[in-house]
Amino acid sequence: MLAYVIRRILILIPMALVISFLVYLGLELTPGDAVSHMISPEMMASISAERLDALRESLGLEQPFFVRYWIWLQGMLQGNFGYSTAGGVSIHTILSDRLPATLELSAVALLFSTIFGCVLGVISALKRGSTTDNVLTVTGMLGVSVPEFFFGLVAILIFALKLQWLPVGGRLLPGYDSYWDHVPHVIMPALVLSIMMTAGVMRYARSSMLDALSKEYIKTARSKGLPEWRVNLLHGFRVALTPVIVLIGFRLPVLIGGSVIIEQVYQWPGVGSEFISAVRSQDYPLVMMIALLSVMAVLTASLLVDILTALIDPRVRLDK
Amino acid sequence: MLPIQRSKGDAMNEHQDVALSVKNLKTFFYTNKRCNKAVNGVSFDIKKGKTLCIVGESGCGKSVTASTIMQLLPTLSRIEEGEITYHSEHGDIRIDQLERNGEKMRSIRGSEIAMIFQDPMTALNPVYTIGFQISESLKYHTDLSRSQYRTRAIELLRDMGISLPESRVDDYPHSYSGGMRQRAMIAMAMSCSPKILIADEPTTALDVTIQAQIFELMDKLKKEHGTAIMLITHDMGVVAELADEVAVMYMGNIVEAGTVDEVLRNPTHPYTRALLASIPVLGKGKNQNVEAIPGSTPDPYDRPKGCQFADRCAYRIAACDVMPDETQIGSTHRVMCWRHEEVGANAAE
Ligand SMILES: Nc1ncnc2c1ncn2[C@@H]1O[C@H](COP(=O)(O)OP(=O)(O)OP(=O)(O)O)[C@@H](O)[C@H]1O
Ligand code: SF4
Ligand SMILES: [Mg+2]
Repeated sequence: MLAYVIRRILILIPMALVISFLVYLGLELTPGDAVSHMISPEMMASISAERLDALRESLGLEQPFFVRYWIWLQGMLQGNFGYSTAGGVSIHTILSDRLPATLELSAVALLFSTIFGCVLGVISALKRGSTTDNVLTVTGMLGVSVPEFFFGLVAILIFALKLQWLPVGGRLLPGYDSYWDHVPHVIMPALVLSIMMTAGVMRYARSSMLDALSKEYIKTARSKGLPEWRVNLLHGFRVALTPVIVLIGFRLPVLIGGSVIIEQVYQWPGVGSEFISAVRSQDYPLVMMIALLSVMAVLTASLLVDILTALIDPRVRLDK
Repeated sequence: MLPIQRSKGDAMNEHQDVALSVKNLKTFFYTNKRCNKAVNGVSFDIKKGKTLCIVGESGCGKSVTASTIMQLLPTLSRIEEGEITYHSEHGDIRIDQLERNGEKMRSIRGSEIAMIFQDPMTALNPVYTIGFQISESLKYHTDLSRSQYRTRAIELLRDMGISLPESRVDDYPHSYSGGMRQRAMIAMAMSCSPKILIADEPTTALDVTIQAQIFELMDKLKKEHGTAIMLITHDMGVVAELADEVAVMYMGNIVEAGTVDEVLRNPTHPYTRALLASIPVLGKGKNQNVEAIPGSTPDPYDRPKGCQFADRCAYRIAACDVMPDETQIGSTHRVMCWRHEEVGANAAE
């Protein structure tokens, strides 16, 4: 198992290198002085021409392309992501500001959608053809097809404006910063964000569960005189879980990259809304870094999925 | 004729030896608003320490009969009529009247009546070890403690002829070969010493040498534990080898039944004769006449109104447009054919 994990991580390294290389290539091709996105703007403004040349040299900008890439990559690994051209702030600072907000939203949404999606999907499969199943299936279809912003706006209208139970948006008011002060703010965006995913997980869990229940080993389990809950959960759901985990795993990067729409609707200060404003102000370095972050999230998620499926399914564990 | 070396059925003392009796059982399927009379009135007894073979072509209702006894039918089907009585040590239990997955039925499954299936590849859950799957039965039907499950599982695997059971017990099904999986299935089925073992084509998915080993194992279990075995097969050769009694099924009916001698030596139903003619006999050389049964089984939704075999029968007469009665032609031998006398006389030639 350990060897398998190590091998999977080793495969990731060349992929990550290729992607970072492409991102660097993109950065080099962006208009403007290469120094400009590597040092802070204040420094840039107050610097003399000779100092700038000296700096160029010290940053290795006179070096051949691959050497420059190598220097840049080393900086990246130490958390030096360069500077945003629009705000002049270090990208490291921006991300360490924005990422926790997005992660907070995503974690809650992921938790909600995984639990509700699985429970509803399993109920739907066990009661196949019943009214419950039909209602859930139709609701699920709506959940998948109605755009997120619609749910977002409707929820704001009801829970924030009419009932005034929850705040309209934002993450925190100044002066409130204990963990529990986050809760009212995160509930609505997280629930709305999880609607679509819950629906997706539910549909997937249902079909995966039905598939598992049709298997011969379910009949074997019953023929041993096991109680129904054990047949359905230990034998059915346990097997049905693998594809569901894969699905959830592959949704992870979307959640880490931030839901652009939901963050906009709720003025949530996350990576998604930062990405939009970076695109608008043509802040290429920032756009590139967020893109790189998203791609890395995809790679990490696929690694996680593989490790989890191997943990869950003994057949995968041995095959590779 | 077939090489049969078996004593004549001891018909006298058979009544107290019955482990399970089925009377006029009907199981129907309801799909797309149409009714498939998959099992249409069958009666038979499964006797302690004996093997009853159920033979017949694909689709004749063998598996449905087995599933009905275990109450493992799919939701779209139900027992329409008839009785299934399990003669337990504590009195008779009417299985047909029990709730499908109710407590009583569950306490019989696995502990009193166990079942093994055709394809051991799919019948074992791929995500649990063999040891775990055996211990599940022990957990629900025995007083053994958690720590004893493993020892018992190892013991069972060893009894079923699996080498190195101490390490094999922790393996997953996919690392077992087909034959070993079926042995593991049998170990699981035998784990709570059931009175009856139902085997639904247990060797169809295995190759011939493994097949022989599995049958040998089953025969050993029957002799050592006095287990009653209901063996489903479509292979007359297997019947000749293993059966004490035979029931030949066709389109949901038992068209002929009796001891293995009676049915194989003196077949009185044209379908039984056709089945027997369709198997090659060992030692008879290459030039024997092996005849496939002409025609094919009718569509279960569009059945002949009289004898179900009529369309394929060489003996057919006008009377066959009416469903033949079941005729008792010996104390254990019965047949469903209007012309069984002529067919029987013909066979004796
Ligand atoms: N799950 C099911 N749903 C609908 N019809 C079924 C189902 N299982 C069996 N049947 C029908 O019941 C009839 C008897 O099927 P059964 O499986 O008992 O045949 P069998 O004798 O076991 O054949 P085989 O040798 O192929 O296993 C067939 O007409 C079949 O179509
Ligand atoms: S009843 Fe008639 S058709 Fe049916 S098997 Fe007998 S002879 Fe043939
Ligand atoms: Mg079958």
